[in-house]
Amino acid sequence: MSDRRLYVDYLARMEGDGAMDIVIGENGEIKKAAWEVWEPPRFFEAFLIGRKVEEAPELVQRICGICPHAHHIASLRSMERAMGIKVSEQTRLMRELMHYSDWIMSHALHIYCLAAPDFVGYESVVAMAGNPDLLPIVGKALGLKRLGNDMIVAICGNEIQNRTSVLGGFTAVPSKATLQALKERLKAAKEFAFETVKLVVQLGNVAPYNKLERKAEYVSLYDPKRYPINEGRLYSNDGLDVPDEEYPIWILEKHVPSCNCKHATIKGKGIFAVGPLMRVNNNFNTLSADAKKIAAEVGFSVPCFLPYFSIVARALELVHAIDASIELIDVLGEPKREEIKYEYRAGESYAVVEAARGSAMHGGRVDKNGVIQKYDLIAPTARNIASLEADFKAFVPQLLNLSDEELTLKCEMMIRNYDPCQSCATHSVKVNLRREK
Amino acid sequence: MVNPKVAFFKFSSCAGCLLNVINIEPVLLTVLSVIDIEYFVMAKRDNHHGPYTIGFVEGAVTTPKEVLELKKIREECAIVVAMGTCAVTGGVPSIKNFSGMNQDQLTKTVYAENIYDPFLASIPAKGIDHYVKVDAYLRGCSYDLGEFVELIKRALKGEDPMFRPHSVCNECKLKENVCLLVSKGQPCMGSVSAAGCGALCPSLNRQCEGCRGPANDCNAASLAKTFMEDLGLSKDDVVRKFRKYAGNTPEFSKGAEAAL
Repeated sequence: MSDRRLYVDYLARMEGDGAMDIVIGENGEIKKAAWEVWEPPRFFEAFLIGRKVEEAPELVQRICGICPHAHHIASLRSMERAMGIKVSEQTRLMRELMHYSDWIMSHALHIYCLAAPDFVGYESVVAMAGNPDLLPIVGKALGLKRLGNDMIVAICGNEIQNRTSVLGGFTAVPSKATLQALKERLKAAKEFAFETVKLVVQLGNVAPYNKLERKAEYVSLYDPKRYPINEGRLYSNDGLDVPDEEYPIWILEKHVPSCNCKHATIKGKGIFAVGPLMRVNNNFNTLSADAKKIAAEVGFSVPCFLPYFSIVARALELVHAIDASIELIDVLGEPKREEIKYEYRAGESYAVVEAARGSAMHGGRVDKNGVIQKYDLIAPTARNIASLEADFKAFVPQLLNLSDEELTLKCEMMIRNYDPCQSCATHSVKVNLRREK
Repeated sequence: MVNPKVAFFKFSSCAGCLLNVINIEPVLLTVLSVIDIEYFVMAKRDNHHGPYTIGFVEGAVTTPKEVLELKKIREECAIVVAMGTCAVTGGVPSIKNFSGMNQDQLTKTVYAENIYDPFLASIPAKGIDHYVKVDAYLRGCSYDLGEFVELIKRALKGEDPMFRPHSVCNECKLKENVCLLVSKGQPCMGSVSAAGCGALCPSLNRQCEGCRGPANDCNAASLAKTFMEDLGLSKDDVVRKFRKYAGNTPEFSKGAEAAL
């Protein structure tokens, strides 16, 4: 008699490297279920001490190449709060458009390139493109991802790391003509976004995915009037409702053995999860009218505690992000070059934004010369690790009749449900599954 | 003709340079028809061992384990490309090398306790050519997509991509930008930094921060003096500038040392 163990030393189609270790005893009991992130740490919170405050947003966007704008905006907002800098309405709207562009790119990437291949039985999107029936969809998916990228290029200068957005505002703004051209493309992309919602509901709404439910505390930003992306209160479906700058008071972190990233809990309570499914649950009412309409059409409603339906939430947010971007472009009209002016002032503050993959917090303390004295950041993935381990414990016992190969894939998918970004959290995933025979 | 076998690897970094590989959407499927991606864990589940024709490496080397992996990559790849600033110079992760904190202090600042595994214990962040021979460099944080596609095209023909070694100033002049340093008194690093980005930042009214590392034959010490004497930057400001994306390089070290 021995434990059954599945082992994948470097999980594919997610950003980073880590380990999943699942050990199943001979009676089907879960002896161990752990996701171990082994990405080498880069010590941002340490090397930012002694750097200038305007360097923080520039450098922290380099934490993650997939959600750089989330880290960047959280850093901007927290440092501006710390020094009492007020930005213009145009800057707030431009930042929102910049971040929605990133959502469009990231959600299209995750749905089609990282998650969908599992559901349809391919090893990658490249393999999917080899099927003549799927090639047109892959082409459209790449087109949508490109649209997100083109929006980012128009606002930020290039795809990955933004060049224009700085403390206090933007060094350059896109022309009205550029934005209008993007608006036309966004309008044209709506059809494919609707198709995407219908497609992912088909993929997700089959056993076992639509049976694997786990009620949990879902955390996101919340605003009763506007779908939250850059601003809102820190909120949960179980009573948390506080200003976002109080994040460090309410969300506690600890370093656990065998993992290079920190686990998080809500003060006085337990673990929680963040991400598109959690956002959609908490903020369904402020999704765009068309996002709500297509949700009703495909029979999606909240509350929804099916982690494999995170792909559906992501697709709904894709529709919403397109609508929100069109609206922002209309409101922005012809953006003006605004003078960027601020003075250094000592202070400390924090801010939360919604990265494509969940809430990210940045903040710290600055001295009167604008030199950083302390810096903290928490990435979404770091907060989902404990939640993922709870998914393993809840779901693996329901899947024991699967072969090792199949079960390993289902476990990998449980990780991909969170669209993890392990260089945000620090990186690395091994899938390690063992059961007693 | 048999397609070359291509591999993509990642060390300590943000994964943005790997993501950028699939940011060539309009030509992606064409590129994929002339190369075979044998190893790219971030993008696919079915990955194969070498040997490979070309290995693209993202990320700085920051652990003893990565040093061993890098040496194996060198053995397996006919051509090794340092992809992005972290792999080229150590990039943003290398800022910790100059933080004044030792590894123990860095770890305690971030984790409040020690990371126990000596194999994963952090060492000073370096570009990959600190450890192995590198055949080509894709500079920039992140690198330029045009240069990436050009490099693949040239590699298919067995040619050197001949990337430009001159400074960002050349490209700024071609774009007829107003000089941020001379006309606006901003501490722009363009005159000492390698071009190829199309003077991206100065064209957006943002001073160059030197993310592509030093240009050929640059005079960083002189620029450091200009920053202090003409623009009134403090010693610390100047040191921070030269120890951001390429503090490990001898050229930018001279800039930092001129201020100290």
